[in-house]
Amino acid sequence: MIALCTAALAFVLRGWLAPLVALAVVGATVAGARLGRSFVPFVLATIPLLISIVLINSFLYPGAHDTVFTIGPFRATGTGLTVAGQASLRILAFALSVAVFALTTPTDDLLADLEQRGLGRRASFVVGAAIQTIPRLAARAGEIADSQRARGLDTQGSLWRRVRGIVPLAAPMISGALSEVEERTMALEARAFSAPNRRATIRPMPDTKLERALRWLLGLATVVLIAATVTGRLALP
Amino acid sequence: MIEIHGLVHVYPDGTRAIDGVDLRVEDGERIAIIGQNGSGKSTLVRHLNGLLRPTSGDVLIDGESAADQRVAALAAKVGLVFQDPDRQIFAGRVQVEVGFGPRNLGLRGAALDASVAQALAAVGLASEANRNPYDLGFSKRKLLALASILAMGTPTVVLDEPTTGQDLRGVERIQGVVADLHAAGRTVIAVSHDMRFVAETFARVVVMEAGRVTLDGTPAEVFAAANWEALARTYVEPPLASRIGDRLGLGSTPTDGALVGALVAKGA
Repeated sequence: MIALCTAALAFVLRGWLAPLVALAVVGATVAGARLGRSFVPFVLATIPLLISIVLINSFLYPGAHDTVFTIGPFRATGTGLTVAGQASLRILAFALSVAVFALTTPTDDLLADLEQRGLGRRASFVVGAAIQTIPRLAARAGEIADSQRARGLDTQGSLWRRVRGIVPLAAPMISGALSEVEERTMALEARAFSAPNRRATIRPMPDTKLERALRWLLGLATVVLIAATVTGRLALP
Repeated sequence: MIEIHGLVHVYPDGTRAIDGVDLRVEDGERIAIIGQNGSGKSTLVRHLNGLLRPTSGDVLIDGESAADQRVAALAAKVGLVFQDPDRQIFAGRVQVEVGFGPRNLGLRGAALDASVAQALAAVGLASEANRNPYDLGFSKRKLLALASILAMGTPTVVLDEPTTGQDLRGVERIQGVVADLHAAGRTVIAVSHDMRFVAETFARVVVMEAGRVTLDGTPAEVFAAANWEALARTYVEPPLASRIGDRLGLGSTPTDGALVGALVAKGA
């Protein structure tokens, strides 16, 4: 929830303040949840994107003439630098919000909570299956690649060799995914997935007053700020 | 010949799967590697064809370090049959599936057809050559995966859990394949939890526990009562024949044949 708000805030509002506030909230969450080291790769992952944003905006911002410095034929403009800085902060705030969400919310908790809040079990299953499938597919892809390399498939050779390798790699992936659907369906039915009764929660979700208050506050702030921007009460640059 | 010196493998998540293994496999040996889940068996055999690279130590295939060779090149020397056939089957016909490996190694025309036919005959799938692999049951798909490695004619064949999902006939089929490979002078290495299959099929048994080799010898040596405690530590139960032989005071009789032989000798 917090992550969603900060992400929305960072994007909707322009200028320096909004992304900075969003970043501060993200920072506070990271510190509060003691994510520390596990958060570092996410920060590093945004760097290439940020570099490209800064380079393109500073040197190629259309219509800007307030040159700050020049490198060879390229002129960096003040407008461009400002826009680049703001865009970078915005992207950073957005990406890190999503990272906070991914790191702090176990899929099981998310699904249990969504269902508690009235999302149908089918819908929550679709969400859960989608999220959980990704790491499983990745592991499966690794095993398939190993199997075929053990049979002499050269995945390191020329482009033509690699193109020829697509079918042996993709076919087991697809057929496996399809046959898994059938197995999953049966496994679900065996555990009374479509039983009509309301289900009991084995693990009640911890939800303190403070957390609830913070969530509402942020949600409200987001709505108000978006409304202000849309109606033009808050100036856009 | 395969030589493993001081092999250590640490996975990126910090798991020390192999923790100092030294092993020497002569040409034509039949070796089974046993041990509990997670003891490092599969990690060890994945070093033999370069799918995994040592964190430290060295793996030599015929005197050359595997670390310097590409997987595609090592595939011609060491064939590895994976546990799950569905992770490799892609072709619409059994014949094409089996031909994939040898084609990658450069076989064409009559030589290719001969190697495919021979491999299919070895696993008893000759009559299924034109069927779709997915029309075959699981046990036959597993034999198909085995055939697809056999067809590559590698000097060494590694089998990862070959008997799972096989009925008695399937197990006998695999035992026959191992015997044929042995007769042809090829090396066979298997990872297995099926102790009866291990004792009946292999001449040497290597026991792994927590990334190290703890026992190494003939089935009669490894499954002898003196080692049962060490075996239990890595969650291995000796074959039934061993336990019966011990109860009857017949010494180490890991195979049905050894047990019956000892009984006959005692009765006579």
